[in-house]
Order: sequence, then structure tokens, then C-alpha cells
Amino acid sequence: MLYVKNLHKSYQSGNKSYNVLKGINLSVADQEFVAVMGPSGSGKSTLLNCISCYIPFEQGTITLGEQELRGLDENSLAKIRNEKLGFVFQDFMLLDGLTMRENILVPRIIWGEADKQAEKLADQLLALFDIEHIASKYPADVSGGERQRTAVARSLINQPLLILADEPTGNLDSKSSRAVIESFENARNKLGASIFMVTHDSFAASFCDRVILLKDGTVYDTLEAEPGHKEERRGAFQDRLLGAIREMSNMEDSL
Amino acid sequence: MMTLKSLERKLQKADAKQAKLYLFCNFVSLLLITAYSAMMFSPTVLLVLPEGGDSRKQMIAIFVLALFGCVVFTIYASGLFFRKKAKQLGTLMALGASGRKLLPGLLGEVFALSAISSLLGIVAGFPFVWILWNSFKLITDSNQMALTLDFKCLYLSAVFFVIVVGFSCLNAYRYLKRTNIMEVMHEEHRNEPVREMGRWCGPVGIGLVLGGAVLGYMGPVVCHRVLNYYAPAWLNILYAPVFVGLYMIMLHTVVNGWRSRKKHPYKNLIARSMMKFQGKQTVNNLLVSTVLIAGSAFGIFYLPMMSVDRIMEIKSRPYDYYYHYRADQEIPGEEEISALAAQYGLAIADFRQVPYLSLGMDGISEVEDGNSFHYERMPLKSEGRFLSQDSYERITGEKISVQKGDYMAISNTDETGLYYLEDTATVLTNMVTFQSLPTNFGGYAHYDFLMDSLGYYVLNNEDYETIAAGLSKEWMGQTAVFNIDGQDSYEFSQDFFYTLVSSFGPECEQPSYYDRVKKYYDNQMGEVYWGDTTRMTKISYSEPNTSDFRMYWKYMPKSRILDKTEFNRTFAVFLMMFLFIAIICSLAAVIIEYTRCMTIVLNNRYVFEDLKRLGASPGFIRKEIKGQAGPVFKIPALVGMTAMYLLYALLMFGNDGKITTNEIGGLAVCLLVLLGIGGVYYLVYRYAVKNMCRQIFE
Ligand SMILES: Nc1ncnc2c1ncn2[C@@H]1O[C@H](COP(=O)(O)OP(=O)(O)O)[C@@H](O)[C@H]1O
Ligand SMILES: [Mg+2]
Repeated sequence: MLYVKNLHKSYQSGNKSYNVLKGINLSVADQEFVAVMGPSGSGKSTLLNCISCYIPFEQGTITLGEQELRGLDENSLAKIRNEKLGFVFQDFMLLDGLTMRENILVPRIIWGEADKQAEKLADQLLALFDIEHIASKYPADVSGGERQRTAVARSLINQPLLILADEPTGNLDSKSSRAVIESFENARNKLGASIFMVTHDSFAASFCDRVILLKDGTVYDTLEAEPGHKEERRGAFQDRLLGAIREMSNMEDSL
Repeated sequence: MMTLKSLERKLQKADAKQAKLYLFCNFVSLLLITAYSAMMFSPTVLLVLPEGGDSRKQMIAIFVLALFGCVVFTIYASGLFFRKKAKQLGTLMALGASGRKLLPGLLGEVFALSAISSLLGIVAGFPFVWILWNSFKLITDSNQMALTLDFKCLYLSAVFFVIVVGFSCLNAYRYLKRTNIMEVMHEEHRNEPVREMGRWCGPVGIGLVLGGAVLGYMGPVVCHRVLNYYAPAWLNILYAPVFVGLYMIMLHTVVNGWRSRKKHPYKNLIARSMMKFQGKQTVNNLLVSTVLIAGSAFGIFYLPMMSVDRIMEIKSRPYDYYYHYRADQEIPGEEEISALAAQYGLAIADFRQVPYLSLGMDGISEVEDGNSFHYERMPLKSEGRFLSQDSYERITGEKISVQKGDYMAISNTDETGLYYLEDTATVLTNMVTFQSLPTNFGGYAHYDFLMDSLGYYVLNNEDYETIAAGLSKEWMGQTAVFNIDGQDSYEFSQDFFYTLVSSFGPECEQPSYYDRVKKYYDNQMGEVYWGDTTRMTKISYSEPNTSDFRMYWKYMPKSRILDKTEFNRTFAVFLMMFLFIAIICSLAAVIIEYTRCMTIVLNNRYVFEDLKRLGASPGFIRKEIKGQAGPVFKIPALVGMTAMYLLYALLMFGNDGKITTNEIGGLAVCLLVLLGIGGVYYLVYRYAVKNMCRQIFE
């Protein structure tokens, strides 16, 4: 579904250039829930922004479905963002002037128009994520968790191939975080969505099928959750994650 | 069913508050521009401000300033609008809306907003001028003040309109063309830090401002005096260090602050860092406000400097009345004037009348050769009025001794009008017999009352008799002065003035700078005298009430009460013009500053929110807000006013090489006026702070 090969990206600052991504290779399978973890500044957001084509990159290929993203013009990229990708941002990025329901419909409106069918889907998503009661409220009037769940619903309205989420729980308390992560799970289990999520929260990551550890712009390790009873499996996976992260930072100290 | 169109409409509605600010800024800019150009093109104003005169030049200079201010203001407003809009655009783009899809909606919105606000501004400009003008008229009732407008001024407004609308649309286009969507999304919080400079940059800035002012002022003078070259217009570039210096002062204020922070390194830390991170905008804002405030101070200073000088002069006159005339004219004498005064129940006293001679004088003159010039002695350079030693003593009551073979020039005590007097003559010529008398400049006699643009000179009695021989009445004249016994009446003075005007023949319908000697010489050389060309301002007996006539008629009498009463009227238009300029500039500055404060709140809302969350007390937050708003108001007012005050002092010094008592008086009044305006700025500052606090705490 998503293949990233040998991705390089550097930022120009003054007349110096900083290599942030130094050859990333990864893939996300259909209906897979994948997380990317790593210390702050390791290039997680940068990786995500490259996949979304929000920022240009120097080297490497990104393939989504059958489509190679590099070299596409702005209009085709916009089409892909709209139809094939769904986005969830750390700071929600809901439009203040629209109700929650309208916000959910925005990608569909951009695609063409929000018809009866789309409105029905929006209502289903509202119900699925348990936010029907705020459907006609405005972003300023609801909690962060509700906002983020609305954003998840928005990312699903065009039934994309892949959802990209950058620290979706970064601005939330643990209870709201859990609700948001569960809405991702629901999206995957009930709607068959594929999700690629950046996070530095091991609790959130422990819900995933696979976690990619990023360090200094390269993939440091990949951990897979064993099949098993959901809650038990999650706890064990989180412990393994924490261990791996500790090991990763110890490496740094011993250097 | 929702479409992109209906979505955009919804978002626009939600952005109404932001749009209002944008509308307001455009509206005010266009209103000010239109109002000012309406003034500039108004025939009423053009009639009063002589073409090529200093006042006209000042008016245009300040217009350029105001224009500059307004351009920056609108660009700034549209930048602000787009910054807010960027989050929306970025989100839509991130969700897959292409620029092509968003362009029509955005362009439509921006075009509608800018066009409507600008048009409204233009339309409102005219009532605005009218109201301002007429409220002045109430204060200074004058019959030449009915405002007529020339709608040619709309061309300027139209150009500005195109700039505003064009710039906004261009901005919209530019935003949608951006490909780095993350940048667009976070534009709102993007910081624009300025380049840091050391603590030296403030003092150096002040040095540059002062140096630039002196350089810019002295440059043309040096060019003229030392190099004998007419200063070309581009020499004004010497003023450039002033602007660089201003920029550095602003930068220093924003980045370093003026107080040493060795003792309290954390004082105002938050306010300062906020300032610093939005430094570019802050510095630009401070700079524009400073220039505008300097412009308004310039306009305002004109009033006290002009009126104090004039009022003091009128007050210090030793006689109530003065007039002079050519001996070939039938002009009322003591008897007729007594009779006229009697009609008003008045009696005249101290009537004194003395004869004078109009003689040709030679002298050194600047002769133009293209851009430069050289000095050359002209055998018949100008006409001068010569009193005998006895006549001088009779009128002034002061002793004088003029050596035989010398002449003395009558100047005022401060010697400020020396350029009207000839001090290089070596030969006096009787313009009828062409007998000449060798002479020498014997210095200045001081008597303010006899100082005018025609120039009075004094000769030794013997020389006077010698050169007078054979002179016709046309080249002789009488100077008369008198007082009113007791309280004078305005009606009498008017009657006296009109009677005097009607007694003169058409041969005296000339402005004061019409020089008969120069004319004779030019004609002799086969040239046309410039006074006979259309370049010379014409004055007419049929318009004795225009300021041109009263300022420039060769035989204009002086009357204390007339001049005092009509002072307001004659100069009202001048004064009003400059007051108007001052008001427009101040208004623009205050609005820019106020808007800046509101932007600070909008942009830094999250900082204040964080502070609140960190447990900052309302008192602390209020202090931080004051720390933000303070410099925005204080610095431009302080720098702009001080700079203009010093410049004016320099000008006052430069016009005659000294600062006279009248000028000191004027400067003192200016200082009071400045304090008053400072008070007004302070009130606006208070209001801004109050509003800022309300926004944060609500
Ligand atoms: N727009 C930018 N310009 C320059 N450097 C950037 C920019 N964005 C991020 N960086 C730098 O790239 C590195 C990785 O940033 P980021 O991808 O945001 O890390 P993460 O999301 O893992 O915390 C950091 O060192 C950051 O300072
Ligand atoms: Mg990040």
C-alpha cells in the first residue's frame, strides 16, 4: 500500500544544511495500523510531511497504492491528498467557522460536493466515534478529545487508502487520548482503514500492529505486536516498546 | 447539499471580525488620501499657497509622507488579513484543495473587500474634508475660505485604489501558489525575528539622524556658497542617513531597549521577547508612525512659528499706522485722514511725514549659467528708498550719523531680513538725470518698523541734497506714520485702507518685487524684464482682500488694528492647511499604532493564554500588555517630535544664522503644543491598553 524507499530530506538554515532524514525505508500494508516513534527532533513529522507531499524532499521514492508521488504536479498531488489520503494533525486544524458535522464534510466538499450520501456517512462516523451530541457545535465549544475525534472522522469521509496522523494525542489528556486511539481502532476494524501514525506516546503506540522506531533520521528498529487477547497483548507490547526505547537512549548515553 | 462556494461563504462570515479590520484600514487610507488630495487640488488652497513657494513645497512633501504612510498601512493591513486567512487556506490545501480550486473564491473575496472599502473611503473623503474645513471656518471666519474642490484629485485616489486592490489580489495569488503547505498552515504564528545588532546601534542611530539632518541642510548651502552651484534636487539624498538612523533607533528599541539591563536582566523579559520575535513588523510600524508623527509635528509647528512672529511684530510697532507713496500720487494727507477719523469719532496724533528718494543702486548679483552661477557686479541692480539723516531722526526719534560718502541700510534689530537689503552698492544713480554718487556701505541702522521688502536706506543730509537734484516726482516719495489718540476702531482702519487703495493710480498696481531700476537696466540691455512676463504674480486693486494683495502690494500700508484683526483671516488658509496636514498625519499614525496593538493581541493570544495557565495574575498580564503597547506609542511620538523640533530649531537658526526672541517664543509655544498632542496620544494609548486587556480577559 505505502512504500517509502531511501528517503532523504534536509533543511536549509542560513547557508548550512541539516540532514534530517537519512535514507528511510518502510512500508504500510492494507488495513494495517502502524506507528512511528522516536525522540523529539528525530524527524517524525518531517517524514510524515514528506509522505503527504506538504514539503519537498531531495531523494527517494514514495509509492501510494500503485502511484509514485514524486514528480507529480500540484494539482495531481491535491487530488491524491483529497481522495487517497486522510489527515489528522496534532493541533486539529478544524475550521473555526464550521460546525463539527460541516468540518467532517470538508474533504468531500473539496472533492466536489457533499450530497445526501456523504451526509449519511458523516452521521455514521459521528455515531461510530460517539460524538453525535456535538454535531452542530463549533470547534471552540468542545473539548480537545472531541475535536480530535471529529478530525479522525473528517479524515475518513472520502474513504482514503491511508490515514496519516501526526501526534494526534499530543495535545490531549490520557482519557481523551484513549478515545481518539479507539476511534482509530474502530476505523481500522469496522471500516478497513490503514493508518500511519506518528507519536511519542508509548501508550498510544501500543494499540498498533507494528511500531517503527526512528532515530537520527534512520529506522532504528521495528517491533510487531503478537496476536492475542487485546488488552493483555497491548500491555505486553507497551512494555516491549518501553524497553526498546530505553535501549535506544542508552546507546546514545554510552556513545 | 454543500458545495465549495457555500463553504467559502460560511468561512467568510466567520472571518467577519478579521475582515472588518482590513476593511477599516483600507477605508481610512483611501479616506485620508482622498481628503488630502482634495485639499491639494482645491483652487481655494492653491490660490493661497503661491506656486513655487515654500508652503506649496511643504504641502507636497507632507503629502508624499502621508502617501508613504498610507501605502505601508494598507500593505500591512492586507498582510494581517492574509496571515489570519492562512490557517484556513493551509487547512483546505492540506485536505487536498488545489490552489486552482481555491483561487476564484479567495480572489473574489479579496477583490470585493478591498474594492468596496476603498470606494467607500474615496466617497467619504469629500465629506471629511468638508467637515474639517468648515469646523475651521467657524473658528477663523474668512471670506476667502469657501472651499471649492477640483475633482482632478480623484486621479490620485484612483491610482491608489488600483494599488490597494491590485496588491491584495496579488497577495491572494501568491499565497495559493505556495507549495510548502506546512508553512502556510502555521503562517499565523510565524515569527519574523529581526537581525540582532549590538547595543551600539541605538546611539549610532541618533548620531546618524542628527548628522543626516545637518548634512542634508548644510549640503545645499555649501554647494551654493562655496561651490557657486545651484543645489540640484538629488542633493536631498544627503538626508538619507536620517532614515537609516531612524531605523537603527527603532531596531535598538525593539531588540535591546534603552535601559541597561545589567541590574535587572529579567525585567520585562516576556514583553521584550514578544517584541523581538515579531520584530520586523514592529520596526516597520514604529518607523512609519514616527515618520507620520514627524510630519504632523512639522505641520503643527508652522502655526505657532508663524503666528508668534507676526503677533510679536504687530505688538512692538511704535506707530499705529504707516503708509508710503510715490510723490506723483494724490494721497490723503494729515488733514484728510483727520477728517476720516473724525467720522469714526477718532482723533489722530503724532502725524509725521518725510520725503524719500528712489535711487538706482549697483551691486553684486548672482548670474545664472545653467546649473551653476557666478557673481557679477551690475551697474543698476535695484531700486532703493533713501531717507535723509534728518528724516530718519524725525520719524524714529533716534539719533543717527551717516558719514558723507556712506549709506546705511535700515534693518530690524534681529537683522533677520538682510537679504532684502543691498550692502554691496558703490554707486547711487539719479534715475532722471543719471547723475551718480559714489558711495560705501556704512552698516545697518536698526528700526524694525521701517523694515520691509523694498528696503529703506539713510544718506548723509548733504549727499541726499546732491543726488536729489533734478529728480522727478515719479522717483520721489513720502513716508508717513501716525497714531490714534485713544482706542482705534477696526471700521476706521478698513475705511483708511480702502480709501488709500482707491487713491493710487494704475501705475502703482504692482507687487513689491517689481523693480523699476532693474527693469530699466534689462530694457537697456535689450532684454524683457521678468516682472513684465507672466511669471510675475499679478495683483489687482479689485481684490484688496486677497492675501496676495495684502502680502505683495508695493504700497501696502501697515495698520496695527487692521493687521491684527485680519491676521487670522489672511493667514487662516495657511494655518488651516498645515493644521489639516497635521491632523491627517496624526490620525494615520494613531490608527496604525492602535491597529498594531490589536494585532499584538491577536498574534500573541496564545502567549497570554499560556501565561494565564502558568498562574500569572491579571496585574502581571496587564503589565505585560503595557510593555507591549507602550513602545508602540511612546517611541514614535518621542523620536518623531524630537527630531522635528530639532529640525525646526535648525531651520530657524539657518534662515538668518541666529535664533531671535520671536523664534524662541515660537519654539516655546511649539513645545506646549507638543505636550498637548502627547497628552492626546497618551489617551489613545490608555484606550488601546484597555481594549487589549478586554480582549485577553473576556
Ligand atoms: N521548517 C524547518 N526548517 C528547518 N529545520 C526544521 C524545520 N522543521 C523541522 N526542522 C528540524 O528538523 C528536525 C526534525 O524535526 P521534526 O521532524 O519536527 O522532528 P519530530 O517531529 O520528530 O520532533 C529538528 O531538528 C528540527 O529542528
Ligand atoms: Mg513532530
